[in-house]
Amino acid sequence: MSRFGTELEVQIASLRRYARALLRDKNDADDLVQESLARALSRADRFKPGTNLRAWLFTIMHNVHVNQVRQKISRPDEVPVEEHEMRLITPARQETSLELRDMSRALAELPDEQRQVLLLVALEGLKYDEVATVLQIPIGTVMSRLSRAREAVRIKLSNEGGVPLRRVK
Amino acid sequence: MVARPVDDRDLHAYVDGHLDSQRRIEVEACLAEDPASAERVNAYRSQIDQLHELFDDVLREPATPAMDDLQNRLSGQIAGNDNYRRGWLRSPFARMAAAVVLLLAGGTGGWVLRDPEPTVVEKQQPPLQSFAQEAVQAHTFYASDNRFAVEMGGEDRGALDSWLSERLGRRIFGPDLSSAGFRLIGGRSLPTATGVGAQYMYENDGKRRLTLFVGTPKAGQEAAFSFVQKGDVSMFYWVEGSIAYALIGRLDRDQLMNITQTVYRELKIRNVPPAPPPAAPPPPEAAKQPPAAQPVGDVKRKDM
Repeated sequence: MSRFGTELEVQIASLRRYARALLRDKNDADDLVQESLARALSRADRFKPGTNLRAWLFTIMHNVHVNQVRQKISRPDEVPVEEHEMRLITPARQETSLELRDMSRALAELPDEQRQVLLLVALEGLKYDEVATVLQIPIGTVMSRLSRAREAVRIKLSNEGGVPLRRVK
Repeated sequence: MVARPVDDRDLHAYVDGHLDSQRRIEVEACLAEDPASAERVNAYRSQIDQLHELFDDVLREPATPAMDDLQNRLSGQIAGNDNYRRGWLRSPFARMAAAVVLLLAGGTGGWVLRDPEPTVVEKQQPPLQSFAQEAVQAHTFYASDNRFAVEMGGEDRGALDSWLSERLGRRIFGPDLSSAGFRLIGGRSLPTATGVGAQYMYENDGKRRLTLFVGTPKAGQEAAFSFVQKGDVSMFYWVEGSIAYALIGRLDRDQLMNITQTVYRELKIRNVPPAPPPAAPPPPEAAKQPPAAQPVGDVKRKDM
């Protein structure tokens, strides 16, 4: 495989993971990745080899996502948080611990803008300035969202520690 | 020396591995006296681990046909503009080296890629050579020892990883090499000329052993990548930021190369915190060892 092909493969895997963590639903996530790759292909001539492929791809995916969310608002089919959670815990992960379920719930309860920053930093390992580029926000905003997201999750998890998981009807 | 006070941003940068070694030492000193902040750091770190546990499986799912197709077309479209020698690419070794450069670039924001002609083996610095030597010695010494091959078993991966991470002062982990037929049997920490080193040991069904040696030689930040063969022992070693890796085994180069690929992927997948930015070399005072090498005697010993 070419030099570029190898890197691309790695970055696509990373896009898929981020999309899944963001949207929770496998089909929605894969659709988002595919639409983003199609968009990337249509503007491939604008990418300079040797520049930051990861930031380029994540930026494209963020823009596609923003558009999809806008379209969704005009034809809403919202699903309650609990249903997302059920889907997240796939059959292959039946041993999923309570901590992971709490984490999953805490993540789902974050505002979108905080969840995006947390996932890009903590899951995808993007640097803060890359996150600022991808989300097109100032780096100070990246830091304050990251800080709020991490604290919100921490407090939620520490409150839930020891308390039996609330039954979801 | 009066250190700049540690603020919220430093704590996050510390957790995410974005601090240079000087600042990291300052933050660690501050955390030692501030249990509340230390607790936050621990909580943020376990958030990272939990996110990976929740979502890393996605990375191993096969791509959809549509994705494969798009990937190929995109790759063809952009790689067509690449201006480096075709002949160079034909050698599997060169392809491998290219892959490393790229994977590392992914983790460090692409700075490695600015060189249009990636060199296969960049200039080696003595600390890195000494790291590589020690890695081979540790391999020959412990891989042949059936009784004390590891200090701690690999049954509880998480415990092994956090113990070794603590020894090294960096978050490290033993990658999953089961796809290559090797299972993790355990690990040990050991003193090296450049600080604490960690050795993960793997074994396949044929009882053949492989070790991954992880250390922090102060060899600079370059994405070096080298292959060395001594007798029938082969080794690939490379540096990602401030962490150096050496994969060693009695295998031929192609076999070892394949497994090395797996290691890169796993490292990439698990997102070992990236290196400090390449621009700022630490001032001379920073040369003090971050985590002091401790005597080997005080650790749990677990017989095989």
